[in-house]
Amino acid sequence: MMEFLSSTFTSYVALVPVTLAQSLILAFVVMGIMIPFRTLHFPDLTSEGAYPLGGCVAGVLIAAGVNPALAIIAALLCGFAAGCCTALIHLRFRIHTLLAGILMMTMLYSINLRIMGKSNLSIFGTGSVFDWAPFVTPGFPAAKIIIAGIIGAAVFVALNWFFKTEKGTAMRAVGANPAMAEAQGISVWVSTIGGVGLASAFSATSGALMVQSQGFADVNMGLGILINGLAALMIGEAIVGKHSVFRQLLAPFVGAIIYYQLVSLCLAAGMPPPDLKLATGLFVLAMLALPSLKRGRGGAPAREKFRE
Amino acid sequence: MLEIRSARKTFYKGQPDEKVALDDLSLTLQTGEFGVVIGSNGAGKSTMLNAVSGAMPLDRGQILINGDDVTNTPVHKRAMRIARVFQDPMLGTAASMTVAENMLLAELRSKSRTFARGLNPKRLADYKERLSILGLGLENRLDTRVELLSGGQRQSLSLIMAVGGSPDLLLLDEHTAALDPRTADLVMGATVRAVDALKLTTLMVTHNMQHAVDYGHRVIMLDAGKVKLEIGGEEKAGVTVAKLIDHFSVKSDAMLLGA
Repeated sequence: MMEFLSSTFTSYVALVPVTLAQSLILAFVVMGIMIPFRTLHFPDLTSEGAYPLGGCVAGVLIAAGVNPALAIIAALLCGFAAGCCTALIHLRFRIHTLLAGILMMTMLYSINLRIMGKSNLSIFGTGSVFDWAPFVTPGFPAAKIIIAGIIGAAVFVALNWFFKTEKGTAMRAVGANPAMAEAQGISVWVSTIGGVGLASAFSATSGALMVQSQGFADVNMGLGILINGLAALMIGEAIVGKHSVFRQLLAPFVGAIIYYQLVSLCLAAGMPPPDLKLATGLFVLAMLALPSLKRGRGGAPAREKFRE
Repeated sequence: MLEIRSARKTFYKGQPDEKVALDDLSLTLQTGEFGVVIGSNGAGKSTMLNAVSGAMPLDRGQILINGDDVTNTPVHKRAMRIARVFQDPMLGTAASMTVAENMLLAELRSKSRTFARGLNPKRLADYKERLSILGLGLENRLDTRVELLSGGQRQSLSLIMAVGGSPDLLLLDEHTAALDPRTADLVMGATVRAVDALKLTTLMVTHNMQHAVDYGHRVIMLDAGKVKLEIGGEEKAGVTVAKLIDHFSVKSDAMLLGA
């Protein structure tokens, strides 16, 4: 028993820096899930397609010799466009947000394959933004932690500023009460399209960073990213709360860091990787079910009233 | 000034349960006039209000505000000129946002929103002052999320939000109906004070005959999508609840309201 604990601990500790780098990169997907889900009340699945989209776009561009930073910006723009499409499908055709997201991520799978022309692409050995980290040897987790951390901090500061501006407050109002927002002169269309687009841009950025971190792009890299991101968001919100702009924006980062450390701990303890999705799914289910369990018997109404 | 010209709206057109909600309804409200709309259920009061606010497009007819045709203007653009208080206190405010943020949203209704900081100290001081008029202590709860307020407090907040910025037209949609009598009086009192002080052009829908008698310059009774009766000027001063109820065509309605 002691032996098991000590070996688990040793392999976990060895993984901490790698996991931290990974979680800081994936924090952007969590942000891309949080913004529609919490700020706009628009449960969105686009990230499952936008994340590999960002990866594929960045992978192809870097392989073609484009500057890695430019590749990230291109990925970001593609992600933004994908998010805008999801929002448009929902608004124009009155299709439920979840279905709009499923449609978009299914179509994106083909698009991603078209972009790469094959199912995976190695960019190993080419330059990446992580080479530009100051003070550290490129290629080590520390470089990734520094670069992803800097971008993450910049995104946090920028969003924390934006959501408190007049425009940002209006965008939050659309999520809080669309009818009221409209009656206060706010265009629900502009806010929804812009917000969901922004969120998918973050997911795509995450994909672009991940491709540069791992050295290859894969069309299946988005598989299960949504449930991981959701689990991370739940953990983050449980720890830092969500009742102010600051806390709500901090939750994705805190959640991503803690969630991936937990995953790493499970793997170090010898949990078979294929079981990971089941475990994550059960965890998210438990977090979502908690309020209803606390209320006691009866639970929530069987069908939630959907917002059209 | 509000003008509704031959507004027509039919629900379930061409189906067996076709219903004409607005039957070539025309109505003019002068600038600064306070009109009170009454009528039995299904008379078209809510449809008319929704048509004016833009929430429901008309089949035919025109809506003019201060002489400008806004018939085809979407809700969020009409909001530059129109403020509305809904019957349901939940509808008029953003529940998960704070009192101050809601006040900010209302203040920006008729302005273009910028990337400047929303809640600056100057605004917060202004909101404090405007909310203190209510005497509900809301001025000390600027950072409270609106969902934690009572229905009466939320409705009072909606009212302050609506009258701020002196809209060209104020729509009150049975805005005291969901409140207990004491709170309803309080909200109604605040409404009348604000409307008088700011000389707002106001259209109020109510089921409360006493309010129709006590307040406003003109009573407008709707029936089957048309203006059935208008009582204004000197005649309005002499009107009583009993007289108003006599005009309701459906007997059961009169009995219900008289009880």
